[in-house]
Amino acid sequence: MISRRALELATAILTGGFGVAVVVQSLDNGIGWSSAGVDSGTFPFLTGVIIVAGSLYNLARGVVPGARLASVPIAITSIELRRLAGLFVPAAIFVAAIPLLGMYLASAIYVFAVLAIPRHQSVLRSAIAAAATALALYVVFERMFQVSLPHGAFAAAFGF
Amino acid sequence: MDNLSELFHGFTIAVTVPHLALMVVGVLLGILVGVLPGLGAPNGVSLLLPLTFGMQPVSAIILLSSMYWGALFGGSVTSILFNIPGEPSSVATTFDGYPMARDGRPTTALATAFGSAAFGALIGVILITFLASWVAQVALAFGPPEYFAVYFLAFASFVGMGGAAPIKTVVALAIGFAIAAIGIDTVSGSVRLTMGIDELVKGVNFVVAVMGLFGIGELLVAVEEEFHARAVSSRIDWREVFRAVGRLPRHGVALLRSAAIGCWMGITPGGPTAASFMSYGIARRFSRRGRYFGTGEVEGIISPETADHAAGTSALLPMLSLGIPGSATAAVMMGGLMIWGLNPGPMLFVDQKDFVWGLIASMYVGNIVAVALVLLTVPVFAALMRIPFVIIAPLIVIICVVGAYSVSNSYLDVVMMLGFGIVGYLFKKLFYPLAPLVLAIVIGDKAEDAFRQSMLMSKGSLGIFFANKLVTCLVVAGIALLLLPLVLQLARPFRKTASPDADTPAQEKVII
Amino acid sequence: MRGTSLFLLSVSAAVLAGNAPACAAWQPQKPIEFVATAGPGGGTDNIARAVQNIITKYKLTDQPIVVVNKAGGSGAEGYVYGKASAGDPYKVIFGTSNAWQQPLVSKVAFNYTDLTPIAAMAQDEFLLWVKQDSPYKTAGDYLKAAASGDFKMGGAQSKDTDEVLTRMIEKAGHVKLTYIPFKSGAETAVQLAGGHLDSHVNNPSESIGQWRGGTQRPLCVFSPKRLPQGAKVTATEGWSDVPTCVEQGLDIKQYEQPRTVWLPGKVTPDQAAYYVDLMKKVQATPEWKDYIEKSSQIDTFLTGAEFDKFIKEDLEHLRQVASEQGWLVK
Repeated sequence: MISRRALELATAILTGGFGVAVVVQSLDNGIGWSSAGVDSGTFPFLTGVIIVAGSLYNLARGVVPGARLASVPIAITSIELRRLAGLFVPAAIFVAAIPLLGMYLASAIYVFAVLAIPRHQSVLRSAIAAAATALALYVVFERMFQVSLPHGAFAAAFGF
Repeated sequence: MDNLSELFHGFTIAVTVPHLALMVVGVLLGILVGVLPGLGAPNGVSLLLPLTFGMQPVSAIILLSSMYWGALFGGSVTSILFNIPGEPSSVATTFDGYPMARDGRPTTALATAFGSAAFGALIGVILITFLASWVAQVALAFGPPEYFAVYFLAFASFVGMGGAAPIKTVVALAIGFAIAAIGIDTVSGSVRLTMGIDELVKGVNFVVAVMGLFGIGELLVAVEEEFHARAVSSRIDWREVFRAVGRLPRHGVALLRSAAIGCWMGITPGGPTAASFMSYGIARRFSRRGRYFGTGEVEGIISPETADHAAGTSALLPMLSLGIPGSATAAVMMGGLMIWGLNPGPMLFVDQKDFVWGLIASMYVGNIVAVALVLLTVPVFAALMRIPFVIIAPLIVIICVVGAYSVSNSYLDVVMMLGFGIVGYLFKKLFYPLAPLVLAIVIGDKAEDAFRQSMLMSKGSLGIFFANKLVTCLVVAGIALLLLPLVLQLARPFRKTASPDADTPAQEKVII
Repeated sequence: MRGTSLFLLSVSAAVLAGNAPACAAWQPQKPIEFVATAGPGGGTDNIARAVQNIITKYKLTDQPIVVVNKAGGSGAEGYVYGKASAGDPYKVIFGTSNAWQQPLVSKVAFNYTDLTPIAAMAQDEFLLWVKQDSPYKTAGDYLKAAASGDFKMGGAQSKDTDEVLTRMIEKAGHVKLTYIPFKSGAETAVQLAGGHLDSHVNNPSESIGQWRGGTQRPLCVFSPKRLPQGAKVTATEGWSDVPTCVEQGLDIKQYEQPRTVWLPGKVTPDQAAYYVDLMKKVQATPEWKDYIEKSSQIDTFLTGAEFDKFIKEDLEHLRQVASEQGWLVK
């Protein structure tokens, strides 16, 4: 399980890291405010500084044992963490598989896997749902609105 | 009333069987693209455009504008049911629409949204009908300093609210601004904040950010709480649709105020997105039930929806009379006008009376057709809430993935969307407010451009924001809105000293 | 390598011009994607869609064509996409001169040499516009007033065609102008109509509505000779009535923006030749003439060595302006 404090710290570090990156990058663009106008890095630089400062404050509040924070000591229990992973990990694998398998195949496999493996649905119904999803995507996007979804490296190898 | 007779003439053009049929087709197609995130009205309009070249211009614009209405309505559906706003302007609808739908009242939420949207659109059309020439003049008065002042006002009305931990609000807002700055900067032409990723030169698209932050983020929160939608009554309840619409007049003040904000922001360059946020912010501040906003309040749905549609409708006016598109869809339509050999601009009203008044009349009729069709679909959409979570969850993931991809056919967008999903979850979990973040992503760079254009004009002096009455009024109003909560907060201890701490947990929940 | 492909390209173009369809060695086998480096409704988007419509109408290919907008980063998104699709002959990129101009002045991750040039199909002219009720009747009046006043010139994007032209006007007319960049020409036109600017250098199609509507008027056109006779725009005047800038003492002979068509890099000469031929066929249709006239552009067709020469010259000129202004990226 993950404590509220750990989560606060992690988030503050995440936002702070982004802030530092913004500050560093905006310095490349130049910061300044003169009669020739405002340089392109000025506002990003300021927002970066604000993000860093705010993140440091949030970080400090996370470290210092504050009474308010402690009221919910545990942010994510291990059961909740398992549920989160149960949703996110397949989704991430699905996204990672798109360049290789293409949108249609990847989404069909994804739907089949999340329905059939935890036995939410029978294998047959999962397969039908998977096929229906891919077909619906194809009809609506590829046919009706001519938005070409990725076909994947495999399909390309076979000349589609 | 010269305009009135023109309008009647317009009705004789718009209300014919083929044109009514075109409206129905357009609206249905519009609802479809509106409901599917990633496909928006601009997609639909730009795909229909080639088909319309053989038609009379007035028939063509009726088809396209009906599609536009359909898409505006359809955009609210996914916002309310799944917390996935397909268009920037329907983000504010998620704040109360989604909680209400989750609470087992999807029919009420959808019907309320559609009813108030129709009202907003109607007010917008009336404005176009009677004040077209005046409105065009107003829009011309807006130079860069005024643009900036309008954006400032939108921020001020929305951001100044209490609720979240102030520092977290500031961090969220600043992150939004930084994200908005990614890509090529209009004013200097230089590439900013791409973090070494070449493709980021295009910037971070709003839809990508919002699909992640709201769609995936909410999904993660829901799965963690093992959320199941509270049992929606199993039969399709048509009466509730009409009851919800019938209850609307009780919120007359909110409707009128939101329509006014919407029209104002549609005419001025603010646009529908800024309008819906501003309207929500102001409603939350002035409504007697403001503190319950975010938990499924009716006025929390009415305010953004009315303003969104009022703005979306009146945004067509600058397109016709000035040739500047008020939105992406209006831009596509404008391209169409030019291909049909019509030049948008002041002369359109003189040269092409049939066209202009046919279009305006079709806005009345098209809206009625749209709202009738869309209300008929409410129970069908509401029934989606009955699908078990285990099935709907992967579908939402796929919708978000496809939506993020189809924005600009980019795989990077899909990966970023997933990343935003984690951020959305963390922020929601730790009570960082998402709304200011999204608002900053949507209008942050426009505000920055306007500010820097003003600084070029004034040679670096801030005096330009007080140079004339219009801009001074806007800026002062913005500052007042920004300071109001502070003043109220300072005044509070004198009036009531009791239990600020007891408030916090409840308040924390209300944060969006 | 480059020489050969150009050679082949011009040879095949020459053969095709002699109407020999049999020599199209390569034919597309799957849907073709037209990438417009502008948002829906922009000039580049319009041309991509016009070409798409013509090809579909005349069935110039069996394969469906899809238009995709990649407008991010002033079009850089589309070019970067083209670069990333090296070797893929199913992506046709529609752009402007910013394909070679942008890499010179900002740190974008592509150069025009990453792409295979197909053709420049239409030229957009530039004019000097002022507000209808402004006192200046000629470019001379304008320059005289600008020399003493603090004039604001608007334009689309920064360090792009509009600003380059502005700097050229400064130099040729010995004046100093404050350049204010907006997102698009349409936005700039409205700013001028509202009196927030003193002038802009929009293309004809970007301001025709305002001219007709009597909110702004052109002073002169940056072209060696007057524009071709067409329908009257206002009650009394048409494009051909606008004097050239040189006539009026503003010595900028020629400045125009080509609409360009590209394939990704590393495609075969056959594939490039196929598209050169396709664009030629498009250009021969009455619909194309109609599109050109409605959008007030000049019909041209540059390909192969000619196109290459055009790019080189334009680039040389831009490099000069950019180095004077200190815009060149290090």
